[in-house]
Amino acid sequence: MALPLPRGLTPPEVAFICEMELVTVIPRQRLDALELLGGPTPALRPPHRNNIPLWLALLLKRQRRANIVPPPWLQPAALSAILEFETKHAKDVFSPPPKLPPSADGSNMTSPPFLPSSTADAPPDALPYHWLELGEMLLNAAPDDFEEPDQVRRLMRDLREVRMAKLRAGVDVLDAGGGVKMNGVGGMEVAEGRAFIGGVIDGLRKIGASREQSRREGEADGGANGYGRTADYDDDEMDV
Amino acid sequence: MSSYYDIDAILTDSQKVPCTFELTVPALGYVEGNAGQDIKQGTKVELPLWLGSMLAISQPAGSSPLVTLDLPSALSPRVINALKADPRTIDLRALAPHFYSLGSLMLELFEEDELVDVMTDTFKKRAAEIADQAHNPRGALGEGADFLRGLDENERQLFRASHDSAKAVKTWMTDVKKK
Repeated sequence: MALPLPRGLTPPEVAFICEMELVTVIPRQRLDALELLGGPTPALRPPHRNNIPLWLALLLKRQRRANIVPPPWLQPAALSAILEFETKHAKDVFSPPPKLPPSADGSNMTSPPFLPSSTADAPPDALPYHWLELGEMLLNAAPDDFEEPDQVRRLMRDLREVRMAKLRAGVDVLDAGGGVKMNGVGGMEVAEGRAFIGGVIDGLRKIGASREQSRREGEADGGANGYGRTADYDDDEMDV
Repeated sequence: MSSYYDIDAILTDSQKVPCTFELTVPALGYVEGNAGQDIKQGTKVELPLWLGSMLAISQPAGSSPLVTLDLPSALSPRVINALKADPRTIDLRALAPHFYSLGSLMLELFEEDELVDVMTDTFKKRAAEIADQAHNPRGALGEGADFLRGLDENERQLFRASHDSAKAVKTWMTDVKKK
């Protein structure tokens, strides 16, 4: 009640977190390494490419001191391939997030956000967690670094529509205790869908509360025989 | 969980349910409109849910309960059948402004397995429609107006939440463009 903000992150907060993603830039001017709290940034020497955080890249881009290289998955060909996968091949799941690279000894402990997923050498066939925010920000700050910004914009919008429709359709399979598989859903999409999906689950739980209670009681009775778990399964089958 | 001051819970509790008196109570005639008279055994009165359920559950001196409770008209078989046929066309708000809360409270008193299924299904089907309307900027004015007017209080909150989050993302996108 104290804060009027809804639960979870707001879109500007998600975008703020996204700004720490590394992107590849082609500097136009020299810039020595900056000693930041998160570690030093690489020294920029034109024309060598370097990976720097998105917020710094946007700043340099605005000052015309660097060009941003869009990540491979933000190319029209890659986006339309992902869009086709979403609409034709997998009608009810989301396209998977990028695979974790195998490490030499098989003990890979790094994962996003500590793994760069939006640099020039990112995999072109998967959308990373921050795809929507990052794409929007790049399209607005650096449209001249894209070959076909309008087409990218159109594909991004299509992709967003398709995926939001899937997220909303997910409530059909929800049940008081059920779940939707949300692998591959991006940060901004979670922020957008959270209020609705949470509300639906709350409503369903309220309606199913009496049944849940009688199930619990049945379970407790079954538990007296020492088999609470099986009584649970039996009840589930009775429901069908 | 709902708090003591939750206005929706209070309003749900004040919805009327049909009750039948099992005993003749002296001088209680004013609840059915003739003050000063006794209330006869077998009289049907619409009482608020909080009072009706209290009277129905309590058993004074080990005897039978004072009143028996019936399902309110909003949960009558006629409505349930209509909900089974098409949940989207029913004006739930006209039936009961707090339809789902009333339903779940009644389900605590009655064992109605079918009612749980119908209400769950109704809520799911209507939630999908609500989500579509909330993302459609003209939905609230155009063809969706009738549907939205028939939402119960719970569904209205859902609509508002889903509309607000869609709006927040849209606002962010326009803000990025301005920079």
